[in-house]
Amino acid sequence: MFLSETGQFSTRYADDRRVFRLRQARLGIVALLAFAYLAVPLWASDYWLSAILIPFLVLSLAGLGLNLLTGYAGQLSLGTAAFMAVGAFAAYNFQLRVEGLPFLASFLLGGLVAAAAGVVFGLPSLRIKGFYLIVSTLAAQFLVEWALTKFGWFSNFNPSGVITAPPLSVLGVDLSSPAGRYLLTLAVVTVLFVVAVRIVRSDLGRSWMAVRDMDTAAAVIGIPVARTKLLAFAIGAFYCGVAGSLWAFAYLGTVEPHGFDLNRSFQVLFIVIIGGLGSILGNFLGAAFIVLLPLLLSNLGGSLLSGVIAPGDTENLQKILFGVLIILFLIREPEGLASLWRGLRARARVWPLRD
Amino acid sequence: MSTVARPLAPGADVPLLAVDGISLSFGGVKAVTDISFAVRSGEICSLIGPNGAGKSSLLNVINGVYRPQRGRVVYDGVAAARITPRRAARSGIARTFQNVALFKGMSVLDNVLTGRNLQVRAGWFRQVLGLRAAREEADGHRRKAEEILAFLHIQAYRDTPVGKLPYGLQKRVELARALAAEPRLLLLDEPMAGMNLEEKMDMSCFILDINRDFGTTVVLIEHDLGVVMDISDHVVVLDYGRKIADGAPAEVRDNPDVIAAYIGSAH
Amino acid sequence: MDFFLEVLIGGLLAGVMYSMVAIGFVLIFKASGVFNFAQGSMVLFAALTFVSLLERGFAFWSAFAATLASMLVLAWAIERGVLRHLVNRPPITLFMATLGVSFIIEGLAQLLWGAQVHGLDLGIKDEPLELGGVLLSSFDLFAAGTAAALVLALSLLFSRTRIGLSLRAVADDPLAALAVGVRLQRIWGVVWAVAGFVSLIAGLLWGARLGVQFSLSLVVLKALPVLIIGGFSSIGGAIVGGLIVGASEKLAEVYIGPLIGDGLENWFPYVLALLFLLVRPAGLFGERAIERV
Repeated sequence: MFLSETGQFSTRYADDRRVFRLRQARLGIVALLAFAYLAVPLWASDYWLSAILIPFLVLSLAGLGLNLLTGYAGQLSLGTAAFMAVGAFAAYNFQLRVEGLPFLASFLLGGLVAAAAGVVFGLPSLRIKGFYLIVSTLAAQFLVEWALTKFGWFSNFNPSGVITAPPLSVLGVDLSSPAGRYLLTLAVVTVLFVVAVRIVRSDLGRSWMAVRDMDTAAAVIGIPVARTKLLAFAIGAFYCGVAGSLWAFAYLGTVEPHGFDLNRSFQVLFIVIIGGLGSILGNFLGAAFIVLLPLLLSNLGGSLLSGVIAPGDTENLQKILFGVLIILFLIREPEGLASLWRGLRARARVWPLRD
Repeated sequence: MSTVARPLAPGADVPLLAVDGISLSFGGVKAVTDISFAVRSGEICSLIGPNGAGKSSLLNVINGVYRPQRGRVVYDGVAAARITPRRAARSGIARTFQNVALFKGMSVLDNVLTGRNLQVRAGWFRQVLGLRAAREEADGHRRKAEEILAFLHIQAYRDTPVGKLPYGLQKRVELARALAAEPRLLLLDEPMAGMNLEEKMDMSCFILDINRDFGTTVVLIEHDLGVVMDISDHVVVLDYGRKIADGAPAEVRDNPDVIAAYIGSAH
Repeated sequence: MDFFLEVLIGGLLAGVMYSMVAIGFVLIFKASGVFNFAQGSMVLFAALTFVSLLERGFAFWSAFAATLASMLVLAWAIERGVLRHLVNRPPITLFMATLGVSFIIEGLAQLLWGAQVHGLDLGIKDEPLELGGVLLSSFDLFAAGTAAALVLALSLLFSRTRIGLSLRAVADDPLAALAVGVRLQRIWGVVWAVAGFVSLIAGLLWGARLGVQFSLSLVVLKALPVLIIGGFSSIGGAIVGGLIVGASEKLAEVYIGPLIGDGLENWFPYVLALLFLLVRPAGLFGERAIERV
């Protein structure tokens, strides 16, 4: 009933291509954006903005990058954090070495450098398939971390390889407050999500899925498989690179190469698995889950179970819980939280009847 | 080839496809040995033969999935030095596979639209920007895809993920995807395998319609001899990787070698 | 020259350790097609359990037996609780599931036994031996001997026993094996148990060398390039691959390290494996499948 399609006909192909085909969905998204852009910065506490919402948005973006590569184009990657690191350190160096370069331009350039790195480490995908490919992305993971620590130039010769981002401002407006950093992150994430939705609905998106589902058949119908795979690496790494710059500039302010280690790559992979491979919305759901679950656990550990669990054990418990959840999702809901959402939608469409 | 008994259609003197002395083996196992035959423009040519005769391998050679050790494929008067699947597709060869090779995670419509990828002019960046020309082009591809869905009577399944369709319909979607490329030569690898009589009749009609309405040349592999004799202009028989007969259906049917291969030799 | 030989042999002996972890991988991959990322955490779990039991006053052999028993239970639980529910899923899904398993095992091991570093003394003296003018570590030689014995035992198991025959059948074609009456799930159980045993041995040797600590579970990251080089389905390949990785990473550290910076042993095996892949996409000993369409 809420999502009734009654009276809403597609009369042109363009109507059919809309992201939100239903009037109710369009209203909903407008309300959500208004809430995120107006209400949240006004009312959310600084803690919520800088410790929960900003990392949530940045991780959603990184998840999106990996999802484009793995969920849509079918190329498994364990090097997400390396591409984030390349983006962060490249943006930092552009900012440092180019006088007066706007922040948004350095994020974009950081993303482009990450895209170049993505193409380099994606090249082996032209010869090797399946999980053999994780060797290439793991090589990226270890090589990048090592190079950023080893060569001082990348961190402007900071002895421990730490980079510190200058205060953010865009077009002369100071955005260094939590609300400002939140709004900047939100704006970048909104734009890049819209672009991603359009990519996966374009011919490129269809070619990605074709390569993912059966690459021999894709080649036979004339899809340039090599180009398609490399574009997936470039665009996926671009998204991760921008996410890395935001992680450094808008979330933490200071980062070191080890902040982008293999565990970060796993974290993003889990976002994608829990949220749903091959889903755009799933990245938000997965990131929310990953960000909120530890909070919930430590609160529970602090209050309910205070006597039972030693404080140092919460981290191990969390690890176990994540492991269990990953397995449960893979067994029960391979398409992740996004598929639960689709189920809810299907119900809302015919409510109060059942389908 | 002089073995073809039917009168030549005007302008069809040069064969669209000529397979010339093809040999293919996999690490010592011979799949195909020194095979030559020609397919004229506009005809329906069937490849028949017992299992393991090398029919599928031959199709794979024609569109560049396998590279033969010897011999060449002349298509449209040109013998390409090296055929790749993509190059074959660009030159107008489309095909279906013995085991349905659809993109399982995508809808029927999306599968058919991937078949048009070679016709797409606007790059992905222009599509993302939503430029007017790109949108109009997308409308055109959609219209063409809808025509093909209508032609094969699968419009109702437009938005269904192909993985959820029954086998017979999947075969039809695969044919639709091949047709979306508007091919000059259509290679069909057992398009009727595993179908019941009614489904086979439907599929036969589709093949004949495609051949007649679009002028598409068809090379197909089929086991059902009744169907083959009914719809083919030209039949090539393989056995153990060698060609044993080549000609009009009636000739081939009476060829003693063919009878021997199919029923066993009469001693 | 002697220095080169010493580096080379030291590297080869370290490579034996990588091979041991890789063998566990190969066993599971052959039998069930699962790429078991949890192999490293199984090594950690085994070593940590063993050393904690020793510290609680168990005798060597009873600790060994108890640890072995717990590895068998663990293997059984993984097979029952996870893999059985994921039959016929794509390999990538299985791989990610073992990632989850490794999280559970690591969390569990540290929850049970704590996160501090334990020393482990197996009673083997680690004194330098001189052999033909080259200095060798006696512990490394012992490790190499153990690995050789293990490989011999495994190859006997596979070539001489009924269960070995069934295993080879399953590795070749699970459906055909099922059709002739091989009980797939029992084979999987056996293989996981053997892999658990192998990780126990590897864990003891590694632990005695480096101390029993969390970083043990990271040996899985070394075993990966070993497998790529050797091929996923060959025990001989795992051994050769381990030796190649061990030797080349030590040589690289000594001879290339001064040129481009030290600490390259983390990524060097991966770059090496990539080079191998570009030349031989199925590894040294793997077979390249013909794609059928």
